[in-house]
Amino acid sequence: MNVSRFFALLALLLALQAGPLAAQQLVVSGQPENISITIYRAPGRGDRPIDANWPQGYALITETRTISLPAGDAMVRFEGVSEGMFPESAIVTGLPNGVREKNRDARLLSPRGLIDAYLKREVSITRTNKATGVSRTQNVFITAGPDGGVIFESDEGFEALRCTGLPERMTFAKLPADLSAKPTLSILTTSRTAVTATLTLTYLASGFDWQANYVATIKESEAGEQTKLDLFAWLTVANGGNQSFENANMMAIAGEPNRERRGDQLRPTGGALQIRCWPMQRTDQVPYNPGYLSAIPPPPPPAPMAMSSDAAEEIMVTAQRRNGAMMDMASPVAAVVAEQEDLGDLKLYRVPERVTVNAKGQKQVAMIVQPDVSYDRIYVANARDYSEDSAPISYILRSKNDRQSGLGVPLPAGKVAVFENSAFGPLLAGEGDLPDRAIDNEVEVVVGQSSDVRLSVTEVRRTKSRQYWRAKISNARDHPVTVEMEILDEISGRIKGISKIDGVSTWRVTVPGNDEAILDYTVKMR
Amino acid sequence: MRLFGFVGLLLASVATPAISQSVTDESAQGDVSVTIYNNNQALVQDVRSLNLPKGRSKQQFPDVSAQIRAETVTLAGPDIGIVEQNFDFDLLTPAKLMEKAVGQTVTLIRTNPATGAETRVRAEILAANGGVVMKIGDTIEVLRDDGLPVRVIFDRVPPNLRARPTLSITLESAGGRVPTTLSYLTPGLGWKADYVTLFDEAKQTIDVQGWVTLTNNSGTDYRNANILLVAGSPNSGRGRNSYAQWPTGTIDSAGTESNDRERLGDYYLYPLAERTNVANAQQKQVSFLDVTAAPAQKVYEFTNGWLGSSEATSASSVLKFSTSRSGGLGDQLPSGVMRVYMRDKRGDPQFIGESQIEATPMGSSMSIRTGEAFDVKVKTVVEERIRRSSSRWRTKMRYEVTNARPEAATVDLAQTGLWGDVRIEQESQTSERVSADKVEWRVNVPANSSVTVTATFDSRY
Repeated sequence: MNVSRFFALLALLLALQAGPLAAQQLVVSGQPENISITIYRAPGRGDRPIDANWPQGYALITETRTISLPAGDAMVRFEGVSEGMFPESAIVTGLPNGVREKNRDARLLSPRGLIDAYLKREVSITRTNKATGVSRTQNVFITAGPDGGVIFESDEGFEALRCTGLPERMTFAKLPADLSAKPTLSILTTSRTAVTATLTLTYLASGFDWQANYVATIKESEAGEQTKLDLFAWLTVANGGNQSFENANMMAIAGEPNRERRGDQLRPTGGALQIRCWPMQRTDQVPYNPGYLSAIPPPPPPAPMAMSSDAAEEIMVTAQRRNGAMMDMASPVAAVVAEQEDLGDLKLYRVPERVTVNAKGQKQVAMIVQPDVSYDRIYVANARDYSEDSAPISYILRSKNDRQSGLGVPLPAGKVAVFENSAFGPLLAGEGDLPDRAIDNEVEVVVGQSSDVRLSVTEVRRTKSRQYWRAKISNARDHPVTVEMEILDEISGRIKGISKIDGVSTWRVTVPGNDEAILDYTVKMR
Repeated sequence: MRLFGFVGLLLASVATPAISQSVTDESAQGDVSVTIYNNNQALVQDVRSLNLPKGRSKQQFPDVSAQIRAETVTLAGPDIGIVEQNFDFDLLTPAKLMEKAVGQTVTLIRTNPATGAETRVRAEILAANGGVVMKIGDTIEVLRDDGLPVRVIFDRVPPNLRARPTLSITLESAGGRVPTTLSYLTPGLGWKADYVTLFDEAKQTIDVQGWVTLTNNSGTDYRNANILLVAGSPNSGRGRNSYAQWPTGTIDSAGTESNDRERLGDYYLYPLAERTNVANAQQKQVSFLDVTAAPAQKVYEFTNGWLGSSEATSASSVLKFSTSRSGGLGDQLPSGVMRVYMRDKRGDPQFIGESQIEATPMGSSMSIRTGEAFDVKVKTVVEERIRRSSSRWRTKMRYEVTNARPEAATVDLAQTGLWGDVRIEQESQTSERVSADKVEWRVNVPANSSVTVTATFDSRY
């Protein structure tokens, strides 16, 4: 077969294909001048942490760009947009005659994409002799590819690419016009004259998330005094994409705008060239599997010989206070605090200064500073979860989100780190989760478990229609604690100490320090 | 190694032109305090002295935990206000370097495989999608398509790519050298207690040593640090919905005593007396409890399920003692594993069993199940089962308790499954109804003999 006969045909085909495209002029818009980014939380994330690699929330990005439009038809390509862009949400305004067509192209320039574009066309192949170092270039014609390998035709006949064991390199004459380095958004527009246009590009993009991170510092208080804490919150923003947004206006939205399920974006085509040749693997190329490496075995129990009194090398644990120079405060002092405003039924937090949202980065700006919040420390339990073996009770901090308690601001969902004072300065006492809390809502944060305040619940006797239960709370702390034990079953008769709280029978009791409290109650059987 | 140092230098000069950084082996950590909790979590407080310019400045904080929970970072100090905090983890890797070079020109050096001659060309990187597409002169090529050696020389490292995740804080200051406290939470540091208990059966006493085992898998060393251990898990609380762990059954009755041990809210604190180095991937053991000759008693326990009938089965050996101030260990016990040893005839300690214990308040009575007794067994027989009426059954049980030891044994024999309204019509010795569901007999079995207990139950099932 004559290869050169194909060239003429090919050149003709190319010219035909390039024809309509040549009438459009390509305008590349590189960097935006002004960016606003509004971040929405991942819907339904609950109290799970932000996925740092690819945050599941989204952002509304508004960019201002200035471009020079030529007269006639033009294709404007936007670079530097977020890789998580939802192309269907993109809106472009500011063009003299509007947008004729909006395209997102995901045909990527890649080894595979090149072969695909050059199928039935001519390329050069260069082979290097490893012994002499001489390379030889010849023109060949791609017959098949890129799926499963590449077959090409040379003057000698048909061959498979890289199934030879020789170093082979392909060279392509021209860059295929419709392949791009990254998925890109482009628009088609028309202008009668050449103009400089300032346009606004607005779009939604995935790969962002935010949450509040609270720091609650419990203040020292005298016995009988109302207990208080200082509440501070960070606005924590995560960007999982590869684009940085410099000098941007940043906002965050609390609340749950409705989002519909959205199909996956068109998968970009391209990638590495997968070549499958006739068998040539040798046994030494079969990967060696080292097998499962077991974890380090647990340490052997310390030999009881150490029972001897010689303890020269031991470090004894004793109470020795840390230097007084240690920190006295757990919450930072904020120089910049995000401002809150209402946006319909949502809450908007605006960072008052321009900030840079880095690629693959997490950023924090103060959002709530509320000193002197009144709270109560309550131990809570549900009788059904306990048995005759005593078990620890969880404790919570409870407050009301109103002015009297020192709050009265919307509290967006987030993690609460509770710091409490000790002889060694403020230390972390617990970490709990807070859902979105509006003004006047009750606010409860579960801090931790107390091994000193314990509950056991024993069924003492049973008849056909009654269960006789005994609950015992032991308090090994040296001061009184308030416990609320919920009983979800139907209680027979009126029992002193039990009242209904929010429709649930609750034993609310203050247990003196180093003491116990016992409640006998009867449950009706159905 | 030299290359890394060089890249680090480059990075430092690109990312933070304003801040001079010395590339030395010295850690940037200051006076470090590490507070370690039970649940693989630690609070690191690092007092670093910063020389701050007046007004705003961006400070970087190297040498923090490799697993830092960046959202928990707090910086506090005299006269400083925080503008913003950033944690960036866009790391410099060969793939990232190439990705960021798209659209730029690099130098290629090709080495002839036979002659070793080098040829230099400039190439424009067009795309990096599963292979690097370049433009050399007028033609398009794929980098290293033929597998021959090609060196790629980049003109520069792209900005904002870092060797390690970087924590930086922008702050406002009055200027000057100020001590600041950087605090954050990190997983990867944890501790647990291990107890070594030596039981002296003749004297009926135990010697107990408590050891703290502290592990650092956080990826970072903490040098000359103050270490404080907290017996407690700060986010284990589940509120009133359910509780985190099922009781281990080691606490017979919970104590209500307290002592003067330092506390943090409801947790107990165990500070280490001296500063110490905690290296990454290191396990460290220190002693925190040493009690000798506390009274203890060995008993046997056997629990039979409803209608359970079995061949002679070993009873559990149980060690009972108290954590109370008088006649006990006189301290709280953080959760951990208690290993029990006894001396053999030659006086050497031998391991006889272990049991997990939960955090135990002072003043509790405890029972530790160490294993199954070889010589103390219980055989259970359902002797009679009669349907008395449409709703009642009569069940007669026999329990044969045998003791092959040369000394007397006390066996706590329990029958469960009594479903509340089961009555005992007749029994060979007096029982205690410990709960609606369970009845218990304390059986004293003399040396090398056996005792039979019988009971007749009236039940609905």
